[in-house]
Amino acid sequence: MTDFIWELGTEELPADFITSALAQWQETIPSSLAAVDLVPQGMAYYGTPRRLAVQLTGVPAQQPEQRVEVKGPAVQAAYRNGEPTPALLGFLRSRQAELSQVERRETPKGEFVYLVQTMPGRPAPQVLAELMPQWWQGLTGRRFMRWGDGPVKFSRPIRWLLALWGEEVVSVTLENGSERLHSDRISYGHRVLHPEPVSIPRAEAYLDCLRQAGVEPDVATRQAKIQQELQRVVPSPSQAAIPADLLTEVTQLVEWPSGILGTFDPAYLHLPAPVITTVMTQHQRYFPVLDEQGKLLPNFVTISNGHAQYEATIRRGNERVLKARLADAQFFYETDLRQPLAAYVPQLANVTFQEQLGSVLAKVQRIEKLLTKILAVTDYPNEEIQQILRTAHLCKADLVTQMVGEFSELQGIMGGDYALKTGESAVVAQGIHEHYQDVPTTLNGQWVALVDRLDTVVGILAVGLIPTGSSDPFALRRAVRNILMITAAIYPTYPLNLQKLFQEMVAILREDFPQFNDIELQHHWYSLVTQRLHTILQEKGLDYDLINALLGIENPEVTERILTNIQDLFDRAEKLMNLRANGILQTIYATVNRATRLAYQGTLSTSELSAEQVIEPQWLQAPIERELYQAVHQLLTQAQATQRTGDYDGLIQKLQEIAPILERFFDGSESVLVMDENPAIRQNRLNLLGLIRNSALVLADFSQIVKS
Amino acid sequence: MNFQELQATLHEFWAAQGCLILQPYDVEKGAGTMSPHTFLRALGSEPWAVAYVEPCRRPGDGRYGENPNRFQHYFQYQVLIKPSPPGIQETYLESLRCLGIAPEEHDIRFVEDNWESPTLGAWGVGWEVWLDGMEITQFTYFQQCGSLDCHPVAIEITYGLERLAMYLQNVDKITDIRWNDQVTYGEIYLQNEIEQCTYNFQAADPHILFQLFTLYEKEAQQLLSQKLVTPTLDYVLKCSHTFNLLEARGVIAVTERTRYIGRIRQLARQVAQLYVQQREALGFPLQRSSVPSPEPA
Repeated sequence: MTDFIWELGTEELPADFITSALAQWQETIPSSLAAVDLVPQGMAYYGTPRRLAVQLTGVPAQQPEQRVEVKGPAVQAAYRNGEPTPALLGFLRSRQAELSQVERRETPKGEFVYLVQTMPGRPAPQVLAELMPQWWQGLTGRRFMRWGDGPVKFSRPIRWLLALWGEEVVSVTLENGSERLHSDRISYGHRVLHPEPVSIPRAEAYLDCLRQAGVEPDVATRQAKIQQELQRVVPSPSQAAIPADLLTEVTQLVEWPSGILGTFDPAYLHLPAPVITTVMTQHQRYFPVLDEQGKLLPNFVTISNGHAQYEATIRRGNERVLKARLADAQFFYETDLRQPLAAYVPQLANVTFQEQLGSVLAKVQRIEKLLTKILAVTDYPNEEIQQILRTAHLCKADLVTQMVGEFSELQGIMGGDYALKTGESAVVAQGIHEHYQDVPTTLNGQWVALVDRLDTVVGILAVGLIPTGSSDPFALRRAVRNILMITAAIYPTYPLNLQKLFQEMVAILREDFPQFNDIELQHHWYSLVTQRLHTILQEKGLDYDLINALLGIENPEVTERILTNIQDLFDRAEKLMNLRANGILQTIYATVNRATRLAYQGTLSTSELSAEQVIEPQWLQAPIERELYQAVHQLLTQAQATQRTGDYDGLIQKLQEIAPILERFFDGSESVLVMDENPAIRQNRLNLLGLIRNSALVLADFSQIVKS
Repeated sequence: MNFQELQATLHEFWAAQGCLILQPYDVEKGAGTMSPHTFLRALGSEPWAVAYVEPCRRPGDGRYGENPNRFQHYFQYQVLIKPSPPGIQETYLESLRCLGIAPEEHDIRFVEDNWESPTLGAWGVGWEVWLDGMEITQFTYFQQCGSLDCHPVAIEITYGLERLAMYLQNVDKITDIRWNDQVTYGEIYLQNEIEQCTYNFQAADPHILFQLFTLYEKEAQQLLSQKLVTPTLDYVLKCSHTFNLLEARGVIAVTERTRYIGRIRQLARQVAQLYVQQREALGFPLQRSSVPSPEPA
């Protein structure tokens, strides 16, 4: 048993690539070792900006004996009259094998001769030398690059290779054009804390040697160190705000972290807090410092990669930078506030929304147009309607302010702040602020967000930019999800018909942009809606079959019904889930499912909920038929009522009552044959089942429900 | 260290690394990358190592000299070495030492930052270099230029001279930078800055600019058909600058923007191809002697 270390030395890797590379290795290296029968006792993965490393502990010195199968000639060519041919004998000679070792095997290409041999296992270092290139070449990431004059592609240039088996160097070479790297026992420490090369005597010493050279290779240890430093330098009871993604990123930006507490002029604290924290976290990777009440203090923590001895210089440098950034922000803020937010709206004509769909101003005008139309039919008070329209008018204005031009992540937030400071109402300001959120909290924000997303989805689909696989540049999937959730949120104040809203949007879009295909557009819209609803219902905990029973399988009529009333879908989903949980579904689904599937062999329209035109009582002959007919009557009355009122409990009650009758109709002594020879009787019976199916459809499509 | 000493020190350092010290190119441009010393020389197989100061104009960035950190006219110090040598980061850190910035006394980081110029059809991968939190340099491994793959790959190092000078001189405004020990940056350039901003944002006649763009484009096409590489590039650069002026003036309709960029990129691609053909026809003259390139530090 021996330890092994392999380090790939690089120029500074992107922070997210380090995280992703180590995750990929955790996934692939164990199986790649298992595939060659070299299973170590322990594996560890290390990464810093300048290195990725794998350490294996307790690796067997060599592979166990390997069973090797070799395919030989076809049996037809291997034997003549039962005797081995020269082809077979030649094959055996080349493998140093005896005739007695041969097996015959059937393959899709006929019968072949096979040799099964056991080979002595190869020494582990030899095998590892072959695996190492596979390991780094197997990594994927965005924007891989070439360097020098060679063809090799990686995240950043590779500069050294360390590979040790115990005390011995495992020899590997990396060629890239005229550059040639040979593996060695040499690593490199921290750029400034230890600029000299580090010689690693044996694999086990790797961590210790690097720590002595100012590098903490272990990501978790480094991250814990950063958290300690954040606590150490911030005087209690104030504390550093630690966003998780910032912590992850900063961990991959340094090899030997030390915290430095800096200060800035408290005068800047009059800037909106999100401006200050954005400058600190997004642009400088600083951690903000909060007091006990969670309010920003005029401090920050930078996690330095430098020498603690020069802390004062480093602090001064960082304070200067932050001061310049905040001075910039202050300048933008004051300049932006020289005119009211509304004055920026016309300049939105200069901001592209999408090449073919025109400017953001055009988008805002479409949003206003649709909102004006739809809000007119609500019973909202006029004042409320005016507030929503005002919010819509101003919602994108901050895009042309200097602050958002510089810090795009502040869109919406600045709009809300500027609105409030330049005479808009708090409600409007709040609506602007939150209209980019998935589901805003205020009605104002909800309506504007809804129509904004709908404009994006319909417009982008109309110009043919359909999301595919991982490519969804306008985030349409997320937008559709927002639309569905916001519609449900608005529902208590207004029963919004999303399908109608969609059609109105299409009509408005057509005024400026006539050349698109309605049918395709509707198809893509339905398909996006169904996909998102699938996910939403799954998250609500619905079983797969119940989801299909509610959403249908590529059935535009079902989708249309859902869009007319989203809240109703969520109500039915909850009902079905409860029915399954309390066992009621168990008592009805089998028979209703059977009736539904049979009914599809008939011709009855799925929307028919009246027996009068479709059942001919004179052809109802068997007693069970007449009993079922009576029950169907009651069921239909209830189904029609449920359609109007949403009283699903009543419908379920009737389905429970009809289920045992249906059972007797299908099976047992009283049963009848649905597919009777007489077409009139057959038609009658199929229609009876069709009416049951249609009644059940008011709740869900029972043909999709499979088991409880 | 005053501003002119800063430039002289960098010249001396990179000359010692084997770089040619060349002069700025006399056509308006948005970045040192657009000079033929970089845009053309990054293409093809011939080795190349150069350093030069380049004045840049970005009309949209102007703030009438009111913003302490932002001018529409400023200077870049540009280094381009092809093929990119191993150890280039360490060489760069040594250049900082020559400026009086000892790397071991600071927190220096190479933070991922990838560069892309849609007008030039160029992109690369690299970092911004942070000195105690301040971005002082862009480092880019060129992957494509003029929509052609770069092979071998050149490394481009771009120092922001004003940033560095403000740091070294401990001043908070561009205008306070000491150009030499008697005269400040502001005394030389502030009035120019204000007037150029007035021109860019208010005085420029969009009608004339649109005409100029069309004329420059036509001339570039005409020169291209006569296989004249640098004259074509001059007019491509004029197209690019005119486009930037039109943008600053706010008169390019958003639906037109991509089209304008596409027109310039198309010309940039053609001039890049023409340059590569020309070098090939000339037998890659610089291939003969290897142009000295820096040794790993």
